[in-house]
Amino acid sequence: MSASAATLAVLVGWGTVVGLDLVSVPQAMIARPLVAATVAGAILGDVEAGLRLGVVLELFALDVLPVGAVRYPDYGPATVGATLAAVGSSWQPALGVATAIGLVVALIGGMTLQWLRHRNARAIQARAAALAAGSRSAVRTLQYQSIARDALRSAALTGLALLLADAALRWLRLDEGTAVALTVVAAGAALSAVVGGALRSAGHGARVRWLAAGGALGLGLAALA
Amino acid sequence: MTGRIRALLRLFAVQGSWNYERMLGVGMGYAAEPLLDDLALADPARHAEATVRSAEFFNSHPYLAGLALGATVRAEYDGVPGAQIARLRTALCSPLGALGDQLFWAGILPGMLGLTVVAVGMGAGWWPVALFLVVYNAVRLYVAVWALRTGMEAGMHVGAAISQSRLPVLVGLAGAPAAFLIGAAAAPAVRWVLGPLDALTAASVCAIAAAGMALGRLAGPRFAAPKFALMALGATLLIRWMIR
Repeated sequence: MSASAATLAVLVGWGTVVGLDLVSVPQAMIARPLVAATVAGAILGDVEAGLRLGVVLELFALDVLPVGAVRYPDYGPATVGATLAAVGSSWQPALGVATAIGLVVALIGGMTLQWLRHRNARAIQARAAALAAGSRSAVRTLQYQSIARDALRSAALTGLALLLADAALRWLRLDEGTAVALTVVAAGAALSAVVGGALRSAGHGARVRWLAAGGALGLGLAALA
Repeated sequence: MTGRIRALLRLFAVQGSWNYERMLGVGMGYAAEPLLDDLALADPARHAEATVRSAEFFNSHPYLAGLALGATVRAEYDGVPGAQIARLRTALCSPLGALGDQLFWAGILPGMLGLTVVAVGMGAGWWPVALFLVVYNAVRLYVAVWALRTGMEAGMHVGAAISQSRLPVLVGLAGAPAAFLIGAAAAPAVRWVLGPLDALTAASVCAIAAAGMALGRLAGPRFAAPKFALMALGATLLIRWMIR
């Protein structure tokens, strides 16, 4: 699907907000792939395609436990951009390619988060004297500049994902069988991410039994659906 | 707008300048600023010291940072020695981090997302996503208000206030439902994403999932799920190209 310049601008804006939400402000969970992709799908006029991509990438994101200073992929802006590759055509062949774009950009996003954290630390070192003197303006400036840096990072990531999605739509020519196989592989890998992550988090205690009980219920629900 | 409301709003950006040197420190200093305004009038020298302390190293779960913020600001107004306030701030880092991580990142968030994915997987459409956002943020806002208020009321006794609150109990209760709901979400999610599955597709999905988990277990965290996925997608492309 080709999108107008105005639609792309709205997507970059949404991706920027989503990228800020992950760490900087306000951590309202709009950065979750499920939310980011659903809204991106609505912007592009295909909520269901966004929702479908959101579910797949959410299964990957559920593998991440963002505790302390742990390094993790940044799925939000990646998901927003990748949604462009998932909408407007038959979802089954499009979903695998869109997932691949989302994962590549999410991994790059994780690296840019490290850059941002180091860059913020350097900015603090540069203003160490003002902070030691109790300067309120130094605190405010550091805070606003850091958030602005994160906004630029998020916008750039969304732009990159949109570029990749646009390039895939223009130039990637896959036969139906290959494209559907990619979708099946993406779903299998997403399943491994969520189950593997849940098993790691559950450890060896009662939580494993709760996880197994939930898994049994899920299989039943899937059979009924 | 009162100083407390401004501080509460600023707490939503407490990680705005997250870094490896002071972690949440500068964000805490930014959130503390409106609360310390009255101290600037009453005792300018103490206010300058308090401003310096407020932006020093700090790390905790962002949603519970209000407990530390409120407690240290109250201690500044109470005239507690600066070294004691710095020790309180340091002492709160680990417990607030552990409690928040267990309650939110390993409990409420995955649990609610699991429930949302189940609802979407059962064909409910997009509304569970909207409901998730509303309910999660209502909980988050309530906790933020409670944390700042409790910290401001308790001051140096914030540790006792936390242990007497429902927070430790909730932390103990949050993990099991989250595990259950994540377990329940996986199969309906994949079933909904792929549509009706024939036996070969279902077996392929299970085989890929098993391979991913086995590789993840063998190779550890360096071989994270997205890397496995990209490798598997690349291998699929290669195999299909060779077959053609």
